[in-house]
Amino acid sequence: MVEGALLAQADPTAVADGVNTVWTLLVCFLIFFMQPGFAMLEAGQVRAKNVANVLMKNLMDWGMGVVVFFLVGLGVFGLAGMVTTAGVDVSVSSAFAYVNDDTAWVGWLFSAVFAMTAATIVSGAVAERIKFKAYVFYSIGLTAFIYPVIAGFAWGGTGLLSANGYIGEAIGVGYLDFAGATVVHMLGGVAALVGAYMVGPRKGRYDSDGNSQPIPGHSITLAVLGTFILAFGWFGFNVGTQAAVLSVDGDALAFNGAVLGRVAMNTTLGMGGGAVAAALVTTWTDGKPDPLFTASGLLAGLVAVTGAVPHVTWVGGLVLGVIGGAQAPIVYRWVTDVLKIDDVAAVFPVHGSAGAIGTLLIPVFATGGFSATQFAMQAVGIAVITVWTVATTWLVFKVADAAVGLRVDDDDEALGLDRSEHGYTAYPEFVDSAGDSGVAVTTGDAGPMATDGSGVTDDD
Amino acid sequence: MTDVDTDVALVMAVIRPEKLADTKQALANAGAPSLTVTDVSGRGSQPVMTEQWRGEEYTVDLHQKVKVECVVADAPVDDVVDAIREAAHTGESGDGKIFVLPVADAVQIRTGDTGTDAV
Repeated sequence: MVEGALLAQADPTAVADGVNTVWTLLVCFLIFFMQPGFAMLEAGQVRAKNVANVLMKNLMDWGMGVVVFFLVGLGVFGLAGMVTTAGVDVSVSSAFAYVNDDTAWVGWLFSAVFAMTAATIVSGAVAERIKFKAYVFYSIGLTAFIYPVIAGFAWGGTGLLSANGYIGEAIGVGYLDFAGATVVHMLGGVAALVGAYMVGPRKGRYDSDGNSQPIPGHSITLAVLGTFILAFGWFGFNVGTQAAVLSVDGDALAFNGAVLGRVAMNTTLGMGGGAVAAALVTTWTDGKPDPLFTASGLLAGLVAVTGAVPHVTWVGGLVLGVIGGAQAPIVYRWVTDVLKIDDVAAVFPVHGSAGAIGTLLIPVFATGGFSATQFAMQAVGIAVITVWTVATTWLVFKVADAAVGLRVDDDDEALGLDRSEHGYTAYPEFVDSAGDSGVAVTTGDAGPMATDGSGVTDDD
Repeated sequence: MTDVDTDVALVMAVIRPEKLADTKQALANAGAPSLTVTDVSGRGSQPVMTEQWRGEEYTVDLHQKVKVECVVADAPVDDVVDAIREAAHTGESGDGKIFVLPVADAVQIRTGDTGTDAV
């Protein structure tokens, strides 16, 4: 074959590295595209008076997050792996060597897009009442510290939960979480639950008897658009975690088509199973299929298979997706009615519980058969990530509370965070066009809304 | 303010949104094709509805309607009212109401015509 003849003249390592790097960059761009997915998903589920605020949080999660993750995050990731593994020297300079090593920067970007996914999960749960400053403070904490430590524990090659780490060595196997069902999603979901608990429910979410009162979001269209954009980016998240398309075997190139196919198939079956299961469960519980819960179920199905995709059979991919989707409406009711936590965008059911269940059950559907040791390691790993996330999230929110306060005051919440925090209206109407005719008739003090950039007056 | 006694009337109807197309046709047939339409919400005799958000029901007692405003000068007002009533009628509560109001004057912005000439 002509292709074979051409490739035979090239260094197989250079060919494999080139193809794999192009593939990795492509999936980085896909995973980045999950950011607008999250932004639209969350924007649709809040009221129109809080849309610009939730978009602003999503912008800062990414924009500030990449800077923090470059200067701090990936170094903490490396250090977390070193300090929790026997026989590994702890070296700050080698952990941070990537900062001045341009050959490490594609790898940095690959790590960064996962970190930013974890960061942007939280905003949907605490929307419509958290102070912007407090949120930004928390987002820095997650990107610099909370997430990198867990990623270092599980993914650094060394690290607490790897086969070489203290816990992995004690149990005898490493923790399995392929693309981050727990390392990314459950971490974000648990942090979101803790944050939503600490900031308290929105005004009007519970009546005086403590019964939940729905606060409908302003656009199911945006929420479902965001869901599909997220799912599109998720192909990069899951399939792209199989970063090696080609491997070098001796002097020959080997194509890893089977594992790529398994990862792609299980990802797709997971989202399908999740959507169908949520539609059926809500039809059963509410009498009608719920579009928003079906969107949540599609995402929860994806979360449930994200750690499992290369490890399980296609039956496992489908069943995990169904479990993930079916539990989302049920866990949402539990969070809302029993825990009394106002999780605006159902973040914990979609990212938290779905990630834990899906990752715990990997050994049950493993292609190589069930392993009790692996099952024990999965349970321990999930517990470690949960405890770490709860403790550090609580700490960071406590510090934010002491420094700037967690919650906007009641008047600002009623006015909407768009106007009180940013001086914005997401959908302005009856704004005079620029020009001489735009001079407003003064009939009293100007409100906090300003359209000419002259600033926002004090709300009082 | 002008102090003219015109023969101009405003027929203002609040109807079901899905009856707008039939109502427009009926008004055209009655010789009063000009109209202004507004999306409105309101409460009348129609019972409250429940809607759902994430499986939780909430009550909606303001129903979405369409307000049709039709200024009439030439055609008989009764014909216009009958046309709307027939076109927008279903027999269920929530069909809406028709109001007829006197109009003191009308001015066409383009030409400056007043009174019945403006309509």
